[in-house]
Parts: sequence; structure tokens; C-alpha cells
Amino acid sequence: MKPDNRQRQIKQADKGSDHMENDRRASKAPASEAKARGRGYGKGLVLGVLVAIAALIPLFRDSAYILHVLILVFIYTVASVSLRTITVSGQFPLAHGAFMGIGAYLTGMTTKWLGWPPWFTIPSAALVTAAIGMLVGFPFSRLRALYYAMGSLFFGIGVLRIAYAFGRYTGGYSGLVGVPPLFAGSKVPYYYLFLAMVVFSTAALYRFEFSRIGTNLKAIAQSHLVASSVGINEGFHRILAVGVGCFFAGLAGAGYAHYNCVVSPGSFDFMATMWLMMYVLVGGMDSFFGPIIGTFVLILIPESLRDLKIYAPFVSAAILGIVVYLMPKGLAGLFRALMLWRRGDDRGEASRAA
Amino acid sequence: MELLATTATNVLVLSSLYILVALGFAFLFNMLGVLNLAHGAIYMVGGYVGFALAIAFGMNVWLALLLTTVIMGAFGAVLERLCFRPFAGDFNRTVMICVAVTVALQTAVNIIAGTRTLALPSFAEGGLHIGIAYVSYERIVTFGIGAVLLLATMLFVNRTKWGQQMQAISQNVETAVLQGINVRAISGIASAIGCALAAIAGCLVGAYLNLGPFMGDLMLVKVLMLVILAGAGSTSGLFITGFALGIIDGIVPVLANGAISDGAAVIIVVVLLLLKPQGFFGHEA
Repeated sequence: MKPDNRQRQIKQADKGSDHMENDRRASKAPASEAKARGRGYGKGLVLGVLVAIAALIPLFRDSAYILHVLILVFIYTVASVSLRTITVSGQFPLAHGAFMGIGAYLTGMTTKWLGWPPWFTIPSAALVTAAIGMLVGFPFSRLRALYYAMGSLFFGIGVLRIAYAFGRYTGGYSGLVGVPPLFAGSKVPYYYLFLAMVVFSTAALYRFEFSRIGTNLKAIAQSHLVASSVGINEGFHRILAVGVGCFFAGLAGAGYAHYNCVVSPGSFDFMATMWLMMYVLVGGMDSFFGPIIGTFVLILIPESLRDLKIYAPFVSAAILGIVVYLMPKGLAGLFRALMLWRRGDDRGEASRAA
Repeated sequence: MELLATTATNVLVLSSLYILVALGFAFLFNMLGVLNLAHGAIYMVGGYVGFALAIAFGMNVWLALLLTTVIMGAFGAVLERLCFRPFAGDFNRTVMICVAVTVALQTAVNIIAGTRTLALPSFAEGGLHIGIAYVSYERIVTFGIGAVLLLATMLFVNRTKWGQQMQAISQNVETAVLQGINVRAISGIASAIGCALAAIAGCLVGAYLNLGPFMGDLMLVKVLMLVILAGAGSTSGLFITGFALGIIDGIVPVLANGAISDGAAVIIVVVLLLLKPQGFFGHEA
């Protein structure tokens, strides 16, 4: 027993050192590595404070409307961040709204017609969504660039059409009514549940993106030919990215179904998918935090101006226009540029001293 | 017999409308690689502009159609200058600006006209009895306008200087520039013609069926199917895919109920795309 155990430990240690060596090779100098790590802690601190503030909101402002808007923001944050995970691999999927819909319909139908408990169906709906995503991703990994985008768009539309065609089980055009809620009455437990979901999902997706697999995905996005020539299995990685993205899309959709208690096909149609993509693009596709910023901006600003009523979509369109014309890298890109500009002075001094 | 005649004319009318809208989309897509997702909204706005001219200003329908073409053509040229040219080659930003344009146009129409169903006055009253079958003049006129426009557009593309310059640009932009082709002017013209064609289709559908602020979404999906299935760079392929989609959309609703027939075309397109990832008639994008 003992030697066996030790051998395993040694093996693990070996693996660990191998990993570290690779990491070191990737970063050019130890100093920059330390700096990056320091900045990582700073980011973590900021995020921790933000989550703490979010957790305190229901204690001070117990308004159902504010909580409702924030819950929506949380649900769509999970969806948009997971959408970006797929785009990291160089794919431009336009079926993410439909995958949210698959998750929502799965949990809605199993709880309503079969009476299964929602706490079991929500995670299993997410898992099944991931499985469907990977099954579909297998033939779709043949398609590239624009053809992938369009193929996934048609797939998403096809999913909704299937939902319409089986109207007896899915509710058809009027939607699936009577999905059991998770909590009766107050929105506060929902709020904390979805806050926890956002924290868990973003943390998991962050780990995924900055893992070895995530690096491989970025390599594939840059050049799938070079990536395959150094031994990265392109198809496997692309399908894996789709699976991970779809898991969280399904989770968000399933949570939404039990929060809203109605699964209506309109929430998952072509425009819903396009809006998810807009959250990612407005925030900035190059940054992990882009979709989070984008979702907050594109949901909170139009909502806060809801006195405009039917004119409100103009606000969203205006935000898109401003970002397109003035911020080529999205809001996160603007933020990054500001940070660089602010840091510009001491960086200049450092180079002079060196 | 009645059903057969209706189905046959339906197929012809639908195909000609689909191809009309898709042709304008394909101009920009083939030449500049611009995926104009606002094309559906432009088609919708075209219908509403025609409606406003014909009903609110009380014009003759044919005059309204002509004026709509001019107005939307100018709109297309402005759109190319302001929304496509600054972001040439940047797929993400083009998609964003197209969504912004679509949302703005849909909201504007929604506020001005409301969601109630409107229809343009008919282009031709009455109908034709062929044997025991009955075909309304409306369908004949719709198909006739569509066919004439398609013929004219193809003549323009193949026989005129501008049309051939467009073809040169879609084959190779750099070489076209080296030959002294003014790519910017030609793209503006292509965008104007594309939007004008979409607007005419919008008017025809407005008279043939009816108008709604969100009718563009459905048409956009059809157009994307046609163009992607035909493949990038192919104009003649559009006629084949357009006719095929017209057949599917014209015949399947007769055989199956509504929900299934809506899904049939999408599923067929996905399967075909997976079998032939680069489209059927185009070259690699």
C-alpha cells in the first residue's frame, strides 16, 4: 500500500512540476508573472466587494422590482459569460438562446408533467442540455466561421419550431404555463439563489478559460491549422467548449423557467440569441469580464429609463451605436485602455530607469 | 385542380419574392463580406413606406411603389456609407450595427404604425379563370414584377459596366482596385440596389399578404438560408436555392399542419449545410 501511495504522490508531483515548467515557459519573465498575479488578486478583491454589495442589496432595498431586474441580470450574465466561452474557441454560435430554451423546456416539462422535484431537474436539465450541445456540436465542428454561425442560427430556429410542433407537451405558441416555483412568495430567496449561481458559474468558467484547455481553445481560435499541427485535437476542444457553454446556458434557462413559472418560446427566439450576443459584444469579446459588464449595461440602463415605455428599445440601440462607433473593443476594452493610460506615467519612468 | 393551381402560383410567387430579397443581400455579402442582418428590417420598412405613400398620401399604388424604390435606394446608399464602410472587415461590429439598425427601425415602425395588421391596396383586382382553376391577378402581377426585376437585375449585373465591376469586386477586391474600380462608389450602388429590391418585395408582400413590424425577422431567416445554402460568391445559385425554398414553403403547408411546415425548411437546410459545409454553388468564404 505504502510504496504504491508514495509512487502516486511522486507521479503527481512530477506532473505538477511539469505543469509549472510549462507555465513558466509561457510567461516571458518572472517579474511580469508576479505582476500578473498581483493584478489577479486586485481583481478578485474588487469582485469580492461587488458580490458582497450585491448580497447586501435585499437588506436595504426590499423592492420586488429592483430584485426582479437584478435576478434577470444574473440569469443573463450566466448565459452571456457561457456564450463567450464558446466564442473563445473561435466559433460564433447563434444558438445560445435556443440552448437556454432547451434547458427551460426540459425542466419545465419534467416538473409539470412528471412531477419530478425541481431541485433535481434543474441540474439534470443543464447536463442534458450540455449533452445535446455536444451531440450537435459533433457534426457542426465541420463548419467554420460564418457557416458555423449560420448553421447554429438555423439549428436554434429549428429547435423552437420543434417546440411549436409538439404543442401538446410544450404549450406551443402561448408557452408552457404552470411550471412549479422554487420558493413561494418573496423574491429574496430567488435573489440569493441566482447570486450564488452567478458566482459559481463565473468562477467555474474563469477556471475553465484559464486552464490548459482554455489556452488550447485560444490557440485554435488564432489558427486551427497551427493548433492541430502541434497536436491539439481541434474537434474535441471545440465540442468540449460547446458542451461547457451549453451546460451553463441550460442552467440559466432552467433557473429562469422556475423563476418565471412560464416558459414562452418568445424568450428564446432569434432576437433573444442576438441580444445575448450583443451583451457579449458590447462588453467586449476579448475580456472575460466583458459579457458581465455588457449584460449589466444593456439590461440596467434601458430598465432604469423605463418611463420612456415604447421608446425604450431606442436606448438599447443607442448604446449599441455608441459602443460600435467609439469603443472598438467594447466597454471592457475602454476600461482597459483607461487603465493603461493611467498607468502610462510610471511605466514610462520604469523603462527610463532600466 | 383548384388546390394545384393555388399551390403552383404560391410556389412561383414565394420563390420570386425570396430571390428578390436575397439578391440584394447577396450583393453586399459577396462584394464586401458584409452580413447585413438589417436587410429584413429594410424589407419591412419598404412595405410600410409604400403603405404610407399609398394610403396616407393617397397616391396611385404604382407611383407609391416607384417612390418607395427611390427612397429606400437612397436609404441603402446612406446605410452603406454610415454603417458598413467604417467597419469593413470587422464582422462583430457589423453585426452589432445591424442589430442596432434593426431595433431602431422596428421600434420606429411600431410607434408610428402600431402592431395592427395593415395591407397595401391591391395592385390588380379580379382574377383569371383557366379551365376550372382560378388565379387572382394579384398573384400574377406579384410574380410578374418579381420576374421582370430579377431579369433586369441579372442583365444589370452581367451586361453593364457597374454590374461587371461588382462581379470583379466579389471575385477579388485587391485586383479590382488595381484595375481602377472605385470600390466605394460601387459598394454604395450595390447597397442602394439591394435595399431598393428589398423594399419592392416589402410592398409586394404588403399587397399580397399584409404588413407587420416583425415580418422582417422571418424574411431575414429565409434570406440567410438561401444565401448560405447557395454559397458565398454565387448569384445564379440563389435562383436554384430560392426556387427550392419556394417549393418547400409552398407545398409542405398543403400536406402538413402549420407548425411542422415551418420547421421543415429549417431542418432541411441544416442537414444540407452539414452535408455540404461551403454551400452548393459558391467558393470558400
